[in-house]
Amino acid sequence: MHLVELIDVDKRYSGIRALRQISMTIGAGSLVHVAGANGAGKSTLLRVIAAVTRPSHGAVHVFGEDAFKASAASNRARVGYLGAASALYADLTVAENLRFSATLFGLDESAIGSQLQAMNLGEVADQKVGTLSFGYRRRVGLARALLNNPDLLLLDEPWNGLDQEAAKGLFTVLNARVQAGQTTLVAAHATAADPLPFNRVLQLERGRIVEDV
Amino acid sequence: MTGARVAAAILRKDLLLDLRLGDRLGQMWVFAALVIVLMSITLPAVNDETRAWVPALLWTIALLASLLGLARSLQTERDDGAIQQLVQVPCDRGWVFLGKVAANWLALFALLLWIALLSALFLDVAWTRAGFEMIGLALLGSLGLAALGTLLATLASSSRFAQFLLPVLLFPLMLPILVWASLLTRDLLGGQISAAPLWGVLALYDWIFLLIGYFTFNAILED
Repeated sequence: MHLVELIDVDKRYSGIRALRQISMTIGAGSLVHVAGANGAGKSTLLRVIAAVTRPSHGAVHVFGEDAFKASAASNRARVGYLGAASALYADLTVAENLRFSATLFGLDESAIGSQLQAMNLGEVADQKVGTLSFGYRRRVGLARALLNNPDLLLLDEPWNGLDQEAAKGLFTVLNARVQAGQTTLVAAHATAADPLPFNRVLQLERGRIVEDV
Repeated sequence: MTGARVAAAILRKDLLLDLRLGDRLGQMWVFAALVIVLMSITLPAVNDETRAWVPALLWTIALLASLLGLARSLQTERDDGAIQQLVQVPCDRGWVFLGKVAANWLALFALLLWIALLSALFLDVAWTRAGFEMIGLALLGSLGLAALGTLLATLASSSRFAQFLLPVLLFPLMLPILVWASLLTRDLLGGQISAAPLWGVLALYDWIFLLIGYFTFNAILED
């Protein structure tokens, strides 16, 4: 069984075709680099797989089920997604934001502690997210996406705003996921300074996959 | 149960933000206070003839004030894409709707209590005559407003014309609640036994929009 399967997926936004006839499969344990220029469709591809955006045409199967079927809702507990925005509440503290996400996913307090440590956020845990720099907010967003130790992790430009130390932390996390046989898709124009062991690169151009190596 | 846990988490989070920031409740309360104080100054003293208008005026003030709070409630979710967390809940997204409705219901019920207090002070409305049934009416009226308002504010919030769209969508659909609640308030203040069917249709209307919201929220939250 494929972890992710897209069949002839199209996505149109007010007349613009962001994705064109995308068909692909992704197996378990992959670390996939979704590459392409601005507007190539990288973010839309991740949003469609995360079931945040419904495709205009085609089918999206995640963990063997139609991602947009009501019966597949519980599968979302196995997916982590960090989009272009960090998806945080500016007036809640870092710890409160993570606690809210943990409650949505039915996780206990220990998950919050381990993510604060992994993303080196301990010193800002009690600060409101709105008072943090962009880089810190991005780190909190990553901690949120990783909170449920997802089987499928979708990261959109995760290195944006990260300093060298945080980028190394993310590198360690993604490497550990590869070792654990978990699947990650990273959409980025450029990758981290340290090369990640990507085992597949999907090159997108104007909404089409033009290269799959 | 996952859905109930998700709804409770959203309610807790919204209450925490409301109590911490105070801006949402503050905007609604200040608006209601300004209008009632202005009415008390500009309108002639309430007499037996004009007393019949007061319930409709008060429910209209509640509806207008609620626009500020409902729009703000969804703005918090749109800022920095926080709504994405709600889209990804591992249960039917209808529970997200119920969580948001619960938070808005509490805020709007508090607004109605505030309006009742102000109208007693400035417009000489004798709520004691209405009895405990008035609390039941406030709960039903605010539930309908919360259900419809949450649904429409979420729909409108993804549009560039959110501020214009929300009242345009909300006012016509709120009209039945406004009319029935005003009639029931008038009856209760007049010490009359209000017509049972009116209570029934008000409760049914609330229930219909709770169901519509629950079953359509999945599609509304997706792009």
